[in-house]
Amino acid sequence: MRDPSQQYNERTRIASTLSPSLRRGIVAALLAAGGLIGSQSAFAQESGQQIFQKACAGCHSIGAGRLVGPDLAGVSDKRSEDWLIKFIRSSEALVKAGDKDAKALFEEFKMHMPDQSLSDDQIRRVLAHIKEKGTGATASKPEPAAAQAAAAAARPDPNQVQLGQDLFEGKVRMARGGPSCNACHDVRNDKVTSGGILAAELSLVFSRMGKQGLQSVIASAPFPAMQVAYNGKDLTEKEIAALVAFLQHVEKEHAQQLPRATGLRMFSAGVGGVIVLLGIFSLAGRRRKNRSVNQDIYDRQIRSE
Amino acid sequence: MNLIDNVLFVGLPYAAIATFLVGAIYRYRATGFKVSSLSSQFLEGGGIYIFAVLFHWGILVVFLGHLIAFLFPTATLAWHSNAARLIADEVIIFTFGLAVLIGLVALFIRRLSSPRIRVVTTGMDIVIELLLLAQIVLGLWIALGYRWGYYWFASDMSPYLWSILKLNPQIEAVSAMPAVIKAHIVGAFIIIGMIPFTRLVHFLVAPFHYIWRPYQRVIWYWDRKRIRDPLMPWTETRPRNN
Repeated sequence: MRDPSQQYNERTRIASTLSPSLRRGIVAALLAAGGLIGSQSAFAQESGQQIFQKACAGCHSIGAGRLVGPDLAGVSDKRSEDWLIKFIRSSEALVKAGDKDAKALFEEFKMHMPDQSLSDDQIRRVLAHIKEKGTGATASKPEPAAAQAAAAAARPDPNQVQLGQDLFEGKVRMARGGPSCNACHDVRNDKVTSGGILAAELSLVFSRMGKQGLQSVIASAPFPAMQVAYNGKDLTEKEIAALVAFLQHVEKEHAQQLPRATGLRMFSAGVGGVIVLLGIFSLAGRRRKNRSVNQDIYDRQIRSE
Repeated sequence: MNLIDNVLFVGLPYAAIATFLVGAIYRYRATGFKVSSLSSQFLEGGGIYIFAVLFHWGILVVFLGHLIAFLFPTATLAWHSNAARLIADEVIIFTFGLAVLIGLVALFIRRLSSPRIRVVTTGMDIVIELLLLAQIVLGLWIALGYRWGYYWFASDMSPYLWSILKLNPQIEAVSAMPAVIKAHIVGAFIIIGMIPFTRLVHFLVAPFHYIWRPYQRVIWYWDRKRIRDPLMPWTETRPRNN
């Protein structure tokens, strides 16, 4: 019989003869990969206007008033370019670092602006576009507060709400094949199946973003993961209207709903599942040999020693 | 941040895939008979069964789950738009994930605690088992903490993985993911790159034909018992064994 330690030595010896040529292969692969880095970002060749449309217009206007985020007309006069670049890269980091202006914005809008993976050059192009378009634009005319309040107070159409709920849960699929909202989002509502918790909880999003803001956010999906998920699968006008109505309804009912422990239930279900698996495997293996096939030989050798 | 993301989600995947391909082909050509795992159950019959089965069935199902969402994202989205199917699949995969964790931990303890298995354990065995352990813990964490992963995998991860294969990497979505998910992706690519250097190569040569192969019958044409009983001196034939 071969000595196991001899096998072991043989293995390590072969491993060491493998490595030099393989190492060359790995280096080549790394170099090839390095070449691909830098050819990055979907926005690389686009003009400031195009980038603005894709990345910013969902939440910001230039001179047409506040949407989800502030109106950006004249923003370059209010803040330094340096600050703007930092904020656009990661507003959250800036807020955490204790920047006063960033904190004030966070408190006013109650959400972080999502991080944008744009280069300095691309951000400068966007800022130039805002400056160009913003000069001459009249000072922002926010909708009269009364009109906004009236829009919010209007009860959404129950049919719309039902359609929105079905779309949210996936009972009705999005016309262009996009995933339903509950893949990543949850709302607190007893009638709705627990949604995902990868992305933000949407129970109170209606008042946070406003009707118009919500519409433009759903339409343009300015968050990176959402952008990819709905790439080429934009929602239709009808779907957006229904979803906004549903979210408005959810917010109204929010206070009367009970919190749920979906995670705990899933964990318990998993533990139960493992117990079932253990049962199945034990049954399947009940006739297996409990002893090694060469146990007899082994015993005999011990005896004859 | 941008640079780190590029290295982790563009550089690393290509390096890992290249290493896997070059390494696996090289290892097969250089030492083809060693493309396997060194068996550790040489004289063992009882204890290994349940944990090895839990681990292997678990990892097969979990791997298949990822593979299906990767290969057929549209069908996965359509199938999971029904909440009952979505939750059932999530629970099934989570169950098998737990099975992997239990099996792997038990097998790892066995590997470390038994001196007989220590002899046939290489450093790489330990490294890859620790990596798998980290990977499965992260996976379970994602399943619970960032749920409906089976659903958003199809709409966010699948496009990313396809963009890697199509040599046009799009990393906007993955760079925006929480750190746990990023770590799970990075871990996956590290493991893929390490397959050729570890016992994981055995999955490339899984003996599927064993499933359909008839039993092998081993027949001696002399009286085994009489010859081999050590209490009796052998007379007719010299024993071949011991």
